[in-house]
Parts: sequence; structure tokens; C-alpha cells
Amino acid sequence: MSTAMPHQPARRSARRAVFAVLAAAVLAAASTAGCSSSSKSPSAAGGATSADDGAQLTMWTRAATESQTEALVKAYNAGHKNQVKLTTYPNEQYPDKIATSAGAHALPDIFTSDVVFAPNYVSQGLWQDVTSRFDQLSFKGDVAPSIIKTATADGKVYAVPHALDLSVLYYNKALYTRAGLDPAKPPTTLAEFATQATAVSKLGGSVKGTYFGGNCGGCVEFTLWPSIWADGGAVMNDAGTQSTIDSPQAVAVFKIYHDLYAAGVAAPASKDENGTTWLGALQTGNIGIAPGPSSWLPLIKAKGIDVGVAPIPGVNGGQSTFVGGDVAGVSVTSSHAAEAWDFLSWTLGDQAQVEVLAKSGEIIARTDLAQNKYAAADPNVVTINQVMGKGQTPYALNFNATYNDPQSPWTTTVRGALFGDTAAALASGQSAITSSLNQH
Amino acid sequence: MSLSTLKEPSAVEDARPRRPLLTIRRRRAAQGLGYAAPTAAVVSVFFLAPLVLVVWMSLNHWPLLGNPTLSFPTNYTDIGDNTLFRGAVWFTLRYTVVMTVVLFSVAFGLALLVQNRRRGVGFLRTAFFLPAAVGFATASLLFLGLLSNEIGPVNPLLTHLGIISRPVSWISGSPNTALGSTVALVTWRFAGFNMLILLTGLQAIPVELYEAARMDGANRVQILRRITVPLMRPTIALVLIMMITGSLLAFDQFYILTGGGPDNSTTSVVMVIVREAFVRFNLGSAAAISVAVLGVLVALNVVQLSILRRRSR
Amino acid sequence: MTRPPRRAGTKAASSGYYVTTGALAILFLFPLLWSGWSSVRTPHGFSLQNYTDMFHYRDGIGTYLINSIAVTSMTVAGTLVVSVLGGYAFGRFRFPGRNALFLATLAILMVPYPTILIPLYVLLGDLGLQNSLVGLSAVLVMFQLPFATFMMRNSFEAVPQELEDCAQVDGCGTFGALRRVLIHAVRPAVVTVGLFAFLAAWNEFFAALILLNSSDKFTLPVAAVAMEGRTFGSIDYPTMQAGVVFMALPCLVLFLFLQRSYVRGFMAGALRG
Repeated sequence: MSTAMPHQPARRSARRAVFAVLAAAVLAAASTAGCSSSSKSPSAAGGATSADDGAQLTMWTRAATESQTEALVKAYNAGHKNQVKLTTYPNEQYPDKIATSAGAHALPDIFTSDVVFAPNYVSQGLWQDVTSRFDQLSFKGDVAPSIIKTATADGKVYAVPHALDLSVLYYNKALYTRAGLDPAKPPTTLAEFATQATAVSKLGGSVKGTYFGGNCGGCVEFTLWPSIWADGGAVMNDAGTQSTIDSPQAVAVFKIYHDLYAAGVAAPASKDENGTTWLGALQTGNIGIAPGPSSWLPLIKAKGIDVGVAPIPGVNGGQSTFVGGDVAGVSVTSSHAAEAWDFLSWTLGDQAQVEVLAKSGEIIARTDLAQNKYAAADPNVVTINQVMGKGQTPYALNFNATYNDPQSPWTTTVRGALFGDTAAALASGQSAITSSLNQH
Repeated sequence: MSLSTLKEPSAVEDARPRRPLLTIRRRRAAQGLGYAAPTAAVVSVFFLAPLVLVVWMSLNHWPLLGNPTLSFPTNYTDIGDNTLFRGAVWFTLRYTVVMTVVLFSVAFGLALLVQNRRRGVGFLRTAFFLPAAVGFATASLLFLGLLSNEIGPVNPLLTHLGIISRPVSWISGSPNTALGSTVALVTWRFAGFNMLILLTGLQAIPVELYEAARMDGANRVQILRRITVPLMRPTIALVLIMMITGSLLAFDQFYILTGGGPDNSTTSVVMVIVREAFVRFNLGSAAAISVAVLGVLVALNVVQLSILRRRSR
Repeated sequence: MTRPPRRAGTKAASSGYYVTTGALAILFLFPLLWSGWSSVRTPHGFSLQNYTDMFHYRDGIGTYLINSIAVTSMTVAGTLVVSVLGGYAFGRFRFPGRNALFLATLAILMVPYPTILIPLYVLLGDLGLQNSLVGLSAVLVMFQLPFATFMMRNSFEAVPQELEDCAQVDGCGTFGALRRVLIHAVRPAVVTVGLFAFLAAWNEFFAALILLNSSDKFTLPVAAVAMEGRTFGSIDYPTMQAGVVFMALPCLVLFLFLQRSYVRGFMAGALRG
């Protein structure tokens, strides 16, 4: 169809060559400009800065981790040509939104998810394989290894840590003093935890020794599993296909909580607690010592409570934590993979981790930066960072259906173990959970 | 006038009443179709079309992202193996009976109380109706807080009034308290709503009928049975159909308030569907259960409608 | 409008009435009063902090309010137009497919909500209406149709034939009859349908969440619930309660305004007038 005159192709190709050279020059200039403005140290963004080409990226996250995501997005947008547009969804319905959009092949460029759902999302193929990109990061070995593991399948990495939330013990120093306990000596074993809680509950009135989420599978796994791990036990095999919840360590841990409730040391509201009023309970200042998410520290302090943080111990000692939070990945439907990765890799870089996250008191994913100046200023944060290395992130493909969903066998097991016959509930739970883990 | 030119040749000669009647009937039919056209358009585009897709999904193994593969009738036969579903069906049926009886009685009672103009009746109607101003998911959360032992006022208030001696675990103490809390939530939220619908039906009954009946010496119960209820049949039909269908498809109140517990004793059918779709990512299975439920409900409502309509004709 | 004649012993009956209804009113208002009270309480006494936090949440209350008003008005308008015309058709005309269409409309009530949303999401995408307030409104109109059409049909059916004949005697066609006479006869039903469509659209949460993709399109309920959950999984109750009060206020105002339509004898008046 071309009716070009013989001499035109030559001119056209000359023009094309000029454009190509100019484009390359512009790109080179942009990339060097990007490099110098976004790096504060050599191990920053990790190389793919030519991907900062002014793309408009869409990102979804759930409300629970909104403040961290928002801070990161804001800081990134301020210093880059790419602009990330963030939409936050209500927590409970966020998985529904992801599933619906996946079903319609309409996912955003980047989306986050609760870390325990990551294996399932990876198996459904919702995120892109970013293994080669991740390998280019100089600090890749220092990025919360337990979380990377949940987002890995067949040696390929599909998502990276985004926001961290660990389980710890919160204790009310004022109540401790009133009960005659030393506020500088939190429990080092779970047995001690029970004794101290009982002492506080003797204060009577509206004061209760402890609190837990007795109607919430997710709450219990988050706060009780670390004790089992600290005692050297396991709740599942590594592949997440076999439950070992009837192990002696688990029985011992559940027995302690069971007896605390039966004795009235644990608040009666614990039986109904499905997670929604958990924070409210801790914020009343009437609870002596209770486990909770590390991200609540500023929220509890904001109510004027003099709160101390301690690692969750096992029955006989040791420490551990549930390394939870959110991961973020590039959607498989995204056409801006390079730019999206530019954002994600930046969030793992020094500047983002220290100057954005650590500065606002958040726990960071980079284990090599745990001793940053902001963390060191708050002894509670130091405690949390130190226990992170001893914690675990459990892995299972059918995690949500087996543990977190209200209709899961875990919910039934937990209620039986905490309010009924502990050993029997855990024994029957073991088989129900195992079959659910393998269901497909 | 416009239809006279469209008559069949065989009827042209007959100039007796039969022809005008035919004309009027056909014109009215055409007009009826015209007025019903927007409804038909919305229903076909936004309901029937997606419904066809749902039925199609139920015949396939439908992964979230990949391509669906035909798999009939696995999704349907699997329903029988689903123990959670069986329990949910029994519970949902029991819940529907309890809820409909309670809600209808309360709504009808309220409507009778506020139907006449009296001092303060505007305030009363507003008080009963106001819960409908709160979205249902939020209302469920509200009740969760209300009944919470930790932050809610109900237990302290009841203890203070001496009605209970220790805090009651309303939400997960036992299947009965869980059911009771849910019934209370739904009644609070929907009684005023249904009261209003019943009110429009009540107020369409001419006052003269009541006056005549009273002058004949009829007492309140007789008036209710002989005049009010029969004349309100269409309204009652509407309200009952909505209540029964709504209860059979209940979801939010269980998901948010009781979590389907304790021990799955308050798990409803739609909760099972949502779990299949959004937790187990088995869209085909969720679609199959939905189609089955739809089939049952259509049959049920056809029966209900014909019973209620027949008696009013 | 005449009232039933008062009978002997009404004083006692009257105070009995007010005690009963008063107690019921308190029971019904209690959760909302508790919300109102909790929403203005902070650790440092009474303040409107929860409300100001809500107003400044993410895209700001202005954006969410405008989106909510847009969706609500479109839904109410759409529902009224479709259901009044449809109710008229079902209530006063015979045409082929009448029962089938009515049943199909009712069937909308019988499909589990979450199931139909995925195909709707796909459909709206195909129609170019994804992430649009118009698309959401169309879906909400569809969800309102069973109740609205049933209500309007009942109401139109109850209109006496004489009224319709009167209207048509003047030579106005069926549409004229509808517009000038019949619509007034069915006014309580129209008001109810409009009010319920308003409430449904104003408070609609799950459909809005699934069908909208960017927070600048969010309506108030979605933003409110997201805001309640920003405390890392637990619900921020004071914020939620502020949201409850804020969103209930327009509904309250609207209902008070519409009280006049729930007056007995309206039908009678139409006949005589």
C-alpha cells in the first residue's frame, strides 16, 4: 500500500534513526536523573530506575494496613515520575473484591494481601513472577525471609513484604504496680504470664487479668501459636498439609488459656470476641496483660495507657512471634510490570524502610536495618525487632479455608480447646484440620 | 382508531361489539407492553443476562483466572457431599420460620398501633422506622458492639436492672442466644420498614367500613379478621414474600454478628455460597448452589403467590 | 376526614397506649442513642473529634458525599420511573408475558446477592460501565425492582375502575390518565417506593464495593467501613458510630418530611375530590 517515492525511505529511516538516538538520550538522561534523586546510599532502589517513566499505577490494599501503605505511596509519588494511585478497601470484604476482580480479569497493577493468603493467591496465579527482579536487589537476603517463603512457589518469588505486624504481649504498667507486680519484669514463661494475670485480676471491679479472641480463629493462631513455637513445637508440617495441633506443646498452651478463662481471670468478653472489639478492649486500660498485634502499640499509647511490650513466651520459656502483615505483588494482568516493580523495590530500599516506615514507629521488613535510629529510641520497638528473628510465618495453601474463615475447622477446634475439653478438641481438630488442608 | 386498519380480513365484515372489544383489548395489550418495556429492559440486561452466566458457571470448573472447563454435573452432585451445606439448610429453614413469625407479628402490631392520627404518632412512626436508616452491615456491627461484654451497654444495664446476675454471652454463648441475638437485630432493623409497607395497605381501607362494622357491634378481633386482613391480602403477600425470601437468603447478620457460630450452628446457606466463592475460590460450585437455591425459591414463591392471590380474588 | 368515634374508658386506654408505645419507642431508639452518645465521647471528655476525623478521611467527605448523592438520586429516579410504569402495566393491563415478566422481576429477590455480582461485574465491564456511578445506579435500580414493582402493582390494582374511567372520559389516553389522576391515587406507594430506594442506595455497601474500583468513586458507606477498619483489623467503634449518626441524619429528615403522605383516608379523598 505504500506508494512512497524511492528517495523517501532513506529520509524516513534517517528521521527514525534521529528519533531513536534522541529517545535513547532522553532515557539515559532520565535514568541518571532518577538515580541521583532517589538514592541516598548505594544499596537503594536496586537498579531498575529506567522504569520510572511517568506511568500511572493503580494499587489496592486493605484498610488495616492503610497508614503504612499511604505513607509509602505519598513518599514515592513525591520523588518519582511514576504516580501510584491507592484505593483502600474494607478489610473483611477485601478478599471478595480481589476474587471478583480476578474473575473478571480486571486486577489493578499492584495489590496487597494478608501474608497467610499469599500461598493461595500464588497458586491461583494472581501475581507475576518477580524472581529475577528480586534477585537483583543487593539486600534480598535481609528481607523478612519467613514472609518471602510464603510468597514463593517452586523457587519463584511472586510477592514481597509490604507491611509487618507481629504478635506480642501488651501489659499495663499501672495495673501491674497496683497489683504489686514489678512493671519492669514482664513474664518470661507462659506459666508466669498466668500468675501475673491472676494477680492483676484480684484487683477486682472492671479490671481483668487478660483478654483473647475466643471467637476468632485468626486471633488465636496469631497469639497462641508463638507459644507453641517457643516451646519447640509445630502446628503443621512445613508443607502445610498435616496438622500437629494435638502435640503436647499445643495442649499445654491451650490449657493455660482455658484455665484462665474458667477461673474468671480472662475477661468474659473473650468468649464472644471475634476480633472487632479486641482493640477497644485493650484500650479500656482494664486489662492486665494480653497478646495483640504490634501495630496497635501507638493506638494503645494514644489512650494514655502506660503500656509495656514483651515477647510471647512458651510454657517453659523461650520466645517467638507470628510474623504477619501484608505482602504486595505485581498483578498478572498488569501491563506496567517494570514500573510497578520500581515502586515495590523502592519500598524495600533504605530510604523507604527507615525514613518512612521506621520513622513513624512501624516494624520494618529489612532485618539488616533493625537497629536504625528511630527504632533504637523506643525500647518497645527494640523488643519487637529482636523477637522478629525468632518468629515464624506459617505456610499452607488452604490457609483461609482451614484457619481464618469463620466456618473453618480451626474455629471449632479453638472454641472446644478454650472453653471445653482441651485435649479432646485438639485431637479431633487435628484430623478435621488435616483434611481441610488437603481439600481440593 | 389506529388498530382498526390492522384487523384480519375475516373479521372485517362483523360490525358487532366483538370487534371493538378486540380492538380495545389489543390496544390495551400493546400499551401494557409499552409501559412494561422499561421493566423488561432492566430485568433482561441486568438480571437475566448475568443469570445466564451464573448458570453457565455452574456447569463448569471455573478457576479465578484461567479458562473454564466443562464439568457437568460435578458441581451439583458435590452439593450433596457438603456437610456444612446440609447443616446450613436445616438451620436456614428453622431460622426463616422463627424470623418470619416474629418479624411479621411485630411489624403488623406496630402498624396497627400507629395507623391512626393521634398526638405523637409522627414521633412514634419515626422512632420505629429510624433503624432502617442504618445500612444492614453497619447495623450488624452496631449490635455486635451493643452486645459486647467489653464495650457494650446491654449487659451492664441488664445487670443494673437486676434482670441478669452475670454478663451473658449473647453472641456465642449457645446456639439459642446466638439465634436470639440475630432475631433481635433483624427485628430492630426491619420492623419499622415492614410497618410502613403494612401501613400503606392499612390506610387504603376506607374508614366507613370500620364505622359500619362497629355500628353492627363487631369487636376489635372480628374487625381484624373480617375486614382488615382480607383487604390487606396483597400487601401481606408482598411483606411475607420479602420476609421469607430475605430470611432464606440471610447473610450479613450471621457473617458479622455470630460468624456462623457457635460451632456453625448459625451458618446460613448464603454463607456457604460465599465461602465456596471467596474462600475456596470454587466459583463453579458456588454458582451451582446458587442455582439450586434459586430453583427452590422460585418454586416456593410461585406456590405462595398463587395461594395468596387465589383467596383475594 | 372523619375519625372513629371515641368510646368510654379512653383515658385509661389512652395512657396504656402511650406507655406501651413509649416503651417500644425507647427500645427502638436505644441503639441509635447509644451510637450518638458514644460518637461524641473521647478519653478527654466530649468532642466532635470523631466527626472531623471522618470528614478528612482520604479523599474527603465532599467527594464521598457527592458520589453518594449522585448514586442515590439516579437510583431513586430510575426506580420510580421504571416501577411506576411497570406497576401500572401489571396492575391495570393484560398483555402477553405479563405473569412471566412479573415472576422474572420477583426472581431478582431470589438470587443470592454475592453470586450475581461477579457476572454483573463482567457485564458492566463489557458495557463500558465499570467503575462508574451510572453502572452502579443501574444495578441498584435492578435490585429495587422486585419490591417497587410489587408495591406499585398492588397499589394500581386497588384503584377503583371508576377513577380510571373518569380520567379517560375526558379523552386523555392511558398516559394522561396516569399522569393526571392515577398517580395521585397511588401516592403513598410512590412515596414508599421512593423512600426505600433512597435508603437502599444511600446505605448500599457491598455492591458499591465490588463494582467501584477507585476510591474517588467510593460512596459514603464504603469509605466509612474502610475507615472503621484502619486500626489494623479491629473496628474503631467511635468512628463507626459517628458514621452511623452522620448517615442517618438525611434519612431522618427525609422521613419526617414524607410523614404527610402516610395519612389515612388519602384514597377516600381522591374519590370524592
